[in-house]
Amino acid sequence: MIRLMVWSMGTLLLLSGCSIKEVKPWEKGDLAMDIMQYEGLHPEVKKFEAHTYFSKEASRGGAGVAGGGCGCN
Amino acid sequence: MQLSKIAALAIIATGVTQAENYVSVEYLQYDENDNRVSVMAPSLTASYDIGTDYNIKADFVHDSVSGATPSYLPDGASGASSRVTNSTDFIYGKQAFNEERNAGSLVITKRFANRDELIVGGDYSRESDFDAKTVSLEYMHYLNASHNTSLNLGASYGFNEILSFTNSSTTTRNRRDDDRFEREDDYDTSSGASRKETSTSLNVQAGITQILSPTSSMKVAGFAIMDEGYLTNPHAFVVRDYSTAPKLVGENRPDTRRAYGVDLKYITLLGERMSYQVGYRYYTDDWKINSHTIENDLYYKLGKRVTLGAGLRYYTQTEASFYNGAKDYFTNEEFASSDERLSSFDALTYKANLDFKQNDKISYNIGGEFYSQSTGLDATLITVGAKFRF
Repeated sequence: MIRLMVWSMGTLLLLSGCSIKEVKPWEKGDLAMDIMQYEGLHPEVKKFEAHTYFSKEASRGGAGVAGGGCGCN
Repeated sequence: MQLSKIAALAIIATGVTQAENYVSVEYLQYDENDNRVSVMAPSLTASYDIGTDYNIKADFVHDSVSGATPSYLPDGASGASSRVTNSTDFIYGKQAFNEERNAGSLVITKRFANRDELIVGGDYSRESDFDAKTVSLEYMHYLNASHNTSLNLGASYGFNEILSFTNSSTTTRNRRDDDRFEREDDYDTSSGASRKETSTSLNVQAGITQILSPTSSMKVAGFAIMDEGYLTNPHAFVVRDYSTAPKLVGENRPDTRRAYGVDLKYITLLGERMSYQVGYRYYTDDWKINSHTIENDLYYKLGKRVTLGAGLRYYTQTEASFYNGAKDYFTNEEFASSDERLSSFDALTYKANLDFKQNDKISYNIGGEFYSQSTGLDATLITVGAKFRF
């Protein structure tokens, strides 16, 4: 598993160093749009969703380290 | 373009933190089919920038949970069960409960001169039989001057206190007249019928965010979670020795759990008004649970005020090595659970939402989701909220 993680990150680093053209600051307007955020338009709703999945499924992780435990699981 | 605007765009574009002052209220209504669990959860969130170098964010949520979850139970024979077994001693029925939960978090972000970020957080959650405290630390470091690549490192430590029963016999849980169990009043720590257990959770994550083009970026993260202590569900039962001397006892899970996984996300703009995000997560742990999650989210700007969203999530997991749902399976195994959440199943979530901006400061949102598991569990989530920016 550790090898898989290292492999994934290494691949992205390689991609970033070799084949991705640098995006200039003045080209980042679209990336700053609210619909282009990873947490969506409403991070609070994402938090509700994550809590629901946490309470109904047996796996978790990947969406950051913040957030506390709950007796629902 | 002013330098400060450029710097703000760079910060936002990495997707790590969206600098904004706001107060938002959200309300969640969650309902499962067959009158199982219902949750009402109002929440309040506030985020405030102190100058350009600090941000403080706090939120609070109150959950009111009620309903009944399927489980093996002492025989009530009152019609509370949906699948009565052949034994007269216990049934597979619904364990009724009511629970109130209050949870809050506080996150402080420090931005350095090079716009690296240090994020310190604390979470607290309290319910009648479970207390959770978590502290977290994250650091986001730009790997190049263009701010197109960032390294994200994080760790959190959680400490939980769980009220449990001192032995697994059904006699430790008080029977009610309606042959169901209410969680409140079940515990009797003074007589020794129940006691506090503890568990800890260490969560570490490392990832990279990479801007691929003026309209796309991706994130990859690896994570590891180490849980230790009392990881058993104090409300779940299993049947042991069904064919010889059947008895209903509390489930028992290992007191350690090691989990690892990888999370990948990619987001891109399709045309001028539509964005598409796809994510994949792989998870594995030493309870032999493996899972795959694929998420798709689409947003479409319908004019300047309205944004429509739609999403589809697929989830699949294998069962834990000590799980079995049958009443005649367990004998003297050390670890045993019939908790359906540890079984093998698939799940689909269908999502739709609408965001309406009244003006630059006020917006409203409404969303609906339908969640369906192959176990037979179906649930709806309705969210309604408003955000005020200042």
